[in-house]
Amino acid sequence: MIAPRPFRFFADLWRRDRLTALGVATLLILLLLGVLGPYLPIGDATRLAVGPRLSPPSWRFPFGTDELGRSFLPRVVIGIRSTFLLSAAAVTMTASLGTLIGMVAGYYRGLADEVVARSADVLFSFPALLAGLLIAAAVGPGRITAISVIAIVALPLFVRIVRSVTLALTGRGFIVAAEVAGASTLRILGVHILPNIAGAVVVQFTYALSIGMIIESALSFLGLGVQPPDASLGSLLRQASVYLTFAPWLALTSGVVLSLAIMSVNLVGDAVRDALEPLNRRALT
Amino acid sequence: MRHLIYAASTLASGLGTMLGAAVLVFVALRFVPGGYADMLLGPFVTPAAREAIEKRYGLDQPVAAQFLHWLAAIAHGDFGVSMVTQKPVLDEFLRRAPVTLELAILALIMALLVGLPLGVVAGVAPANAKRSVAAARLVGAFGLSVPDFVLGTVLILVFSMWSLWLKVGGFVPFGEDPVLNLRTVLLPSAALALFGAALILRTTRDAVLRVMTEPFITAAVARGESPAIIVRRHVLRNAAIPVVTVITTYFGFLLGGAVVVEVLFSVPGIGLYTYNGLGNRDYAIVQTGVLLAACVFVAVNMLADMLYVLIDPRLAR
Amino acid sequence: MIKGPKVFGAIALGALLAANATLAADRTLVWGKPAEITGFDVHVAGTITSWEMYEMVYETLLTTDENLKLQPGLAESWEQTSPTSYTFKLRPDAKFSNGRPVTSQDVAGTFARIKDPKTASYWSAQLGDIAKVETPDDHTVKVELKAPHPAFLAALSHITAAVIPIKELNEGTFDPTKDLMGSGPFAVAGHKQDESWTLSRNPYYRGNLPVAEKIETPIIPDSSARMAALRDGRIDFSAFDNPDIAQALAKTPNVAVLPQKTTNYYRIDVNALNPKSPFHDKRVRQAMNLALDRDAIASLVFDGTTSVDYPVPAAFGKNACKSTPTYAWSRDKRLEKAKALLKEAGNPNPKVTLMATSIDPIYPMIAQVAQQSLAEAGFQVQIETPSLPDYLKKVFTDGDFDFALSFLAGYTDPSMVIGWWNPNFAIWNTSFQEDVPALDKVLDEIKAMPDGSERDGKLDEACKLIDDGANLVALVNVVGYVAYRTDRVKVKIAPRSGSSNTYRYIAEFVPLH
Repeated sequence: MIAPRPFRFFADLWRRDRLTALGVATLLILLLLGVLGPYLPIGDATRLAVGPRLSPPSWRFPFGTDELGRSFLPRVVIGIRSTFLLSAAAVTMTASLGTLIGMVAGYYRGLADEVVARSADVLFSFPALLAGLLIAAAVGPGRITAISVIAIVALPLFVRIVRSVTLALTGRGFIVAAEVAGASTLRILGVHILPNIAGAVVVQFTYALSIGMIIESALSFLGLGVQPPDASLGSLLRQASVYLTFAPWLALTSGVVLSLAIMSVNLVGDAVRDALEPLNRRALT
Repeated sequence: MRHLIYAASTLASGLGTMLGAAVLVFVALRFVPGGYADMLLGPFVTPAAREAIEKRYGLDQPVAAQFLHWLAAIAHGDFGVSMVTQKPVLDEFLRRAPVTLELAILALIMALLVGLPLGVVAGVAPANAKRSVAAARLVGAFGLSVPDFVLGTVLILVFSMWSLWLKVGGFVPFGEDPVLNLRTVLLPSAALALFGAALILRTTRDAVLRVMTEPFITAAVARGESPAIIVRRHVLRNAAIPVVTVITTYFGFLLGGAVVVEVLFSVPGIGLYTYNGLGNRDYAIVQTGVLLAACVFVAVNMLADMLYVLIDPRLAR
Repeated sequence: MIKGPKVFGAIALGALLAANATLAADRTLVWGKPAEITGFDVHVAGTITSWEMYEMVYETLLTTDENLKLQPGLAESWEQTSPTSYTFKLRPDAKFSNGRPVTSQDVAGTFARIKDPKTASYWSAQLGDIAKVETPDDHTVKVELKAPHPAFLAALSHITAAVIPIKELNEGTFDPTKDLMGSGPFAVAGHKQDESWTLSRNPYYRGNLPVAEKIETPIIPDSSARMAALRDGRIDFSAFDNPDIAQALAKTPNVAVLPQKTTNYYRIDVNALNPKSPFHDKRVRQAMNLALDRDAIASLVFDGTTSVDYPVPAAFGKNACKSTPTYAWSRDKRLEKAKALLKEAGNPNPKVTLMATSIDPIYPMIAQVAQQSLAEAGFQVQIETPSLPDYLKKVFTDGDFDFALSFLAGYTDPSMVIGWWNPNFAIWNTSFQEDVPALDKVLDEIKAMPDGSERDGKLDEACKLIDDGANLVALVNVVGYVAYRTDRVKVKIAPRSGSSNTYRYIAEFVPLH
């Protein structure tokens, strides 16, 4: 009897690095919950008055009930879904855009590069949350707002790193050779430069994802994220904080799950970074 | 001469960053729906009243003209008045700056006290000391993963359920009662410090680990220097640059962006003021707040540059 | 480094103020205020958070008691000599906090300032058309109206009609847009924006009142933080609107909670005027009004501590409106009718967006219950939670919405609140309220009638028309809760309040430490 491959992989990982294994396991469980949430037999996330209001955790309501008599467990599950989904969508878009901008700036140098570098600085100097509050105020709260705020905060992260790696690459022999051979710019960027910066982008991606999740939840915590009855882990915590001292299970469950979700991304991100960029080759800040 | 050119260009790029931030916040604010007239009059706003208020604050002019007026006024030290109180916002920012500064310094001290020693220990620990390395990693991942408002909420829960010495909210200025002041600011500082501690820990550990693989460490060990001296003389000095970078960045973040924690604990700092200003559509407050944050960002970067030179004089050349 | 000394100056000043604070610490009350005022001008600001501060400092000619009956205020007596003429006798002992007696000129100047379009006071319409104001002597004011306006006296009892020191205003020593100065029990001794107020006793206030020397007023927006502050004794009293919090606080040692009924209720504004909104069709509005489950809102959001309310607030004890289909029919019958109406309108599943401003968590909660109850009739409701100014502009200026949650101040007389259904009079709802001439006529008649069975009959008539329009919809009563430390303060709270003057008896609060 041979264990199926994923299990063997996991057993290996567990033996080598327990912390990473725990991170991978948590991330997988949360992702599964987020994706399958609506189909799981854990109750309806939006149905009101299925139980008494603000009742403590029980067999029927493992996370208790909220202020409108909803079961809190399915609410946390849709919260996981929003928090992951919104951040992942925003960071993926930003990573593509940031990589493109960074590559072009780093490759062409000159004025374009100067403009890009300065703009990245301006974005960077803007306190992330203030930027978020401004955008949310202008656009109104909602999914789009959360995604754009994360994108704006994460964009300079990608632009900066991709630009600096591209700058370092452009003088290198194989690029010059390709240029001499008459390769088109698109080809040089796509075939010669992109594979060489992929590692840096992936590492930056996990970092940006965890920051994106923190920002999404902070915005929701201030009431600027997803709209009710939809929920994100941050908006659940916001609502729960009204009942903090007499229904603490609401704040504790949503807070703990939120922290676990971000932590699993960070742990997996660490492992990815260790694998792709060994310490002695890593550019330290 | 070279130094001068360098300083001038740094200053110019700093000013450029601030100008960019100024344009961004100014334009963004004009896109924000609803204005102070709505806040003041509630449902009872009329076109005439809205016009009167917009005229009083020059909001009826084209945005470009408003912006230039604002810049010109700032050049004369006038940052505008709060629409709610009709008083200069600069006075209010100056009154609140010590509060945010205190919060930032306390958080930084806590973060350094935890992050630096743990980072060094995790970095110089022998490769077979798996447990201590894993512990440092866990603390690092934990600190980066628990958002300040989650930690803040838990702290509020614990400290408002049981009367432990520390207090939730009810800020008292340091000059009024230093002990009471500490009792009210330690919790928000702690909520802010966790992230910093983790950041400093991880950066320190990585920097130390890398220095440890350098040939001159092997050489020092071969010369028979004691481990304490090696750590102090070689490792720390050479690992300092990235650590300084992360510390200054973190400090800049604390000075400019501790909005959520200030809101959560009702700490009357500049973050809360800017946040409320945005809620009231009190433009001068938000504009000054963002400009101040950008200014802090630039200043902190300059500070980092100066520190690099202090640590490693070779960088001055 | 030019800014350095200023910063340290500020710290030193703080220390100085602190020294003063400890000297007068006895007989001090601490009031936890949930939000900062939105402006200083008492004749302009239309927000409760501003009113509750004004009520500490200013006085009105008349006030109302817990039965919503008029009581003397600055005027010790008043007399209506004809349907359009009134004479007020001012108290001879009323003085502003600078020691100057309140005179008839102050009252006349106040009326003029409220009516002046440049002031942009929303209370101008409530005072009616003033033909002339005479001041035969320092303590007599005679007002002549152009037309009968029985709500005139009630309008004078609202804080927005506060009498301000006109002499100082004219001399330029008092600017009502920057300062507060009145003849009320307290005067402002210090203010840190968004942080705290310090109120000190107006030494010229009548009798031996107020009892307290001083009221320290920290601003604590977060309700959990305010709860904690009550528990650890940092504040002596504060008001809450969330019944769960009130119940949790009532279990705390040394803390007592008093409910205060109001004539206010939560309401829904429905946009009848925007052709893009499904509610442009009256039948869809009626279906919405019928399908709303008000009982569910009362039981789920407020844990059964409040009750269903009517266009003419239940607190006035009138039976008007209770017989309309919205209230008299069973829920099943209402749902059936609602579905039929939607079908008739050719829109069995209208897509509508319900606005619930995020300023108070109560609104999104009500919105979610409304969403679920409307779904049973076929509505597809989306909820939006914009910030307060965003919501205010979209609803009251742009008319760019489907329906929105709000609350209605019922004031002190049915004829005042019911006037809101005439957009020509109310003005604020012209952006979404349909003008129904038949209703306007009935409302005008009500306004000119004294209280009595004849007026009650007219109220009934108005209610039918209001229910038919389904344009401004009542939900449930607003109950306020005042929580206080029994060991620190003896409070006096009216069991009912008509003008959001929760702390009407603040002068009689007794500090116990």
